[in-house]
Amino acid sequence: MSDNKLLFNTGSLNELSEEIGKLSENDESKLKLSPDNADSGLAKLVLTLIELIRKLVEKQAMRRVDGGSLTDEEIERLGETLMKLELKMEELKKHFNLTDRDLNINLGPLGDLM
Amino acid sequence: MKGISGSSLYEVSNGAISAVVSDIKKSEFVPDKSVAIDYAGVIDSLYLHSALLPMRFGSIMESSEAIVEMLERNSDEIRKNLDKVAGRYEFGLKIFCDSAKLKATLAATIPEIAYHPDEGNKNSVYRDWVNRKLAEHRLEELLLAHVETVIKEITSYLDRLNSINKFKKMLTETTVVDAVFLIEKEKKGELIDSIKELQTHYPGLSFVLTGPWPSYSFVDVTIK
Repeated sequence: MSDNKLLFNTGSLNELSEEIGKLSENDESKLKLSPDNADSGLAKLVLTLIELIRKLVEKQAMRRVDGGSLTDEEIERLGETLMKLELKMEELKKHFNLTDRDLNINLGPLGDLM
Repeated sequence: MKGISGSSLYEVSNGAISAVVSDIKKSEFVPDKSVAIDYAGVIDSLYLHSALLPMRFGSIMESSEAIVEMLERNSDEIRKNLDKVAGRYEFGLKIFCDSAKLKATLAATIPEIAYHPDEGNKNSVYRDWVNRKLAEHRLEELLLAHVETVIKEITSYLDRLNSINKFKKMLTETTVVDAVFLIEKEKKGELIDSIKELQTHYPGLSFVLTGPWPSYSFVDVTIK
């Protein structure tokens, strides 16, 4: 970016280029499917979708807990279910050698998936 | 001025509206980085002097006659968009933050939302898990509300400049706002002053203002 396009910046230029880099290219957050890695590529894709749904369910559940519409018993059951889901997800990520960052696909101009 | 790969540029007009084009063989067109830079260079040179609607990169038509017909068919929409961008420039504002630090600052304002581990083992492990997640959820909501406040304040400043705005929020963990504004050319100085002033209200956020740019984000024409 030429200097005259940068009108105001409170951080350093290095910080700025780092942040813009995160918004554009992020190799780790891309799905790479090829004949050589069909298994791991597919696992990443499937786990990404499961993780997205799990997080949405968790968010909705916390909204309901926060809203005060659940009984203590219901909160207990909800906690047990969601905690077990989280642990199972951790196991699957470990099994396929994936991290949270791997499952957070960068959608370009739309930002990160999660 | 030259077009992509050094080709000559010329105008194809229909009434007062012109398309700036260059001749290219479709089979030889490779949409690589250097071609994209050439394309951006042409737009960068033209938008300073006239109302311009950037066409999608790599738009190819069969002939000059086809271009004239396209301009004719879409003249109403093109005219409407030209009126919108005439005399205005696009500016971009990105707001970055260290989200962990910002969340900690926000959490300090409402201590009761913080998660306190159940040291007396009064709760079950599941209930304790819910309490931790609930604290995280409330902190996320707090961050979102803070970003909304920032956007609202930016909007109120920009309204004074008669700006057209588009906002995206929470793009990534660190990019909390990604905005574009369409502002009258002569109000550039006022915009810079406004953003500088806004920055002083939010010391935990980093504001980056760029521009002027051609109005890439405000062209709303679906070519028929």
